[in-house]
Amino acid sequence: MKAYVYTDKSLERFAGRFVWLSVNTENAKNAAFLAKFKIPALPTLLVLDERGESIVLRYVGGATAGQLTKLLDDVRRKSGTTPDAVLAAADKLAGEGKQKEAAAAYLAALSNAPKGWSRFGRTAESYVLALSSSGDNERCATEARRLLPAQRRTVSGATLAAVGLGCAAALDEKSSLRSDLLAALDTATRAAFDDAKLDISADDRSGLYISLIEARDAVKDAAGARKLRQEWARFLEDAAARARTPDQRTVYDSHRLSAYLGLETPEKAIAMLEQSERDFPDDYNPPARLAAAYRAMKKYDDAVAAADRALSRAYGPRKLTIFRTKAEVLAAQGDKPAARAALAEAVAYAHSLPAVQQRQSVITALEKRSRELEE
Amino acid sequence: MMRTLAAVLAAATIAMSASAAEVLPFIEDDYAKAVAHAKTKKLPIFVEAWAPW
Repeated sequence: MKAYVYTDKSLERFAGRFVWLSVNTENAKNAAFLAKFKIPALPTLLVLDERGESIVLRYVGGATAGQLTKLLDDVRRKSGTTPDAVLAAADKLAGEGKQKEAAAAYLAALSNAPKGWSRFGRTAESYVLALSSSGDNERCATEARRLLPAQRRTVSGATLAAVGLGCAAALDEKSSLRSDLLAALDTATRAAFDDAKLDISADDRSGLYISLIEARDAVKDAAGARKLRQEWARFLEDAAARARTPDQRTVYDSHRLSAYLGLETPEKAIAMLEQSERDFPDDYNPPARLAAAYRAMKKYDDAVAAADRALSRAYGPRKLTIFRTKAEVLAAQGDKPAARAALAEAVAYAHSLPAVQQRQSVITALEKRSRELEE
Repeated sequence: MMRTLAAVLAAATIAMSASAAEVLPFIEDDYAKAVAHAKTKKLPIFVEAWAPW
């Protein structure tokens, strides 16, 4: 959003109406904030009251300048009705990480909404996401499908389709509802993608591809998934070519790497990532992604060198992923002692993070891998 | 637009641009400072939680 949205002059009128806070969730400085407010996915947009204590509005996902305008205007709009109060309570519950309770509250707001309620779309999005976050994939997919018709050809509709599709793909293969839900939500997601008039960013359109590819993988349609990946790669290359700044161009690096890895053409990522590393020499992302690409190409010495460059710049929980990449490359080279040493460094680093940034599941996985390499 | 959780985890977010001017005066990584400003000015706080990857 920094590259494409916060530079939009149409947002200038909001500058003096809010205090603006950027929270890098990888930065340990933000531990106190992260302990107070649960961030389930990135980006998450919050509006807090003037004491910085209560959540007034919560939106998970990126936004274009137009969408952000609508959200910010919504904050200023009077909140007098019962569904408004219930929505505010739901946002607060979701911000506390109480997803089941939040889902129930979002549903209550939707069920009591007056006709034409301006907040219906984003409430529906938040409801389905809360169901997904609480692990209730069946209700997430069925509710997304139920709410879609009223949100067709809107940004909220695109979100419902994509989130619902992800939930449908996650259903057990034995589920009697799975096939039907996948088909319906796949069609809806594709329709949203093809709707050129829909005000969503290229980055978010790219996200729709991820949902569609996941669905093909879920039904073991390898040919369909490959075709989509090829389309996705071309879409991203086109978007990157139209970027006006290096910042805008690098927005697409991560997805492009994913597309090329999925197509087993990791070499196509090298030139773009080398350019990004030249443009942003302090950023750990380009060398971290180069390490992944070189690993896929079995150019292990280059992968280790790139991982070491990334590690010298990285910080926060993401550093553990880079340590893991390095360890796997060393293991692939047959150097198990060095691989275990990298994993030990990762575990020590994990324990050094603030408590709110530590994930025991990640530490356990690192330790388990190290034991496997002893055998 | 909201993304699926998997898509979000896979998605890149954006690094600060040195060349394109932002029109909104963000405070970087300082919740206490933002709260202090909000209390003084009696304004709500807009927060973007993001990650550099």
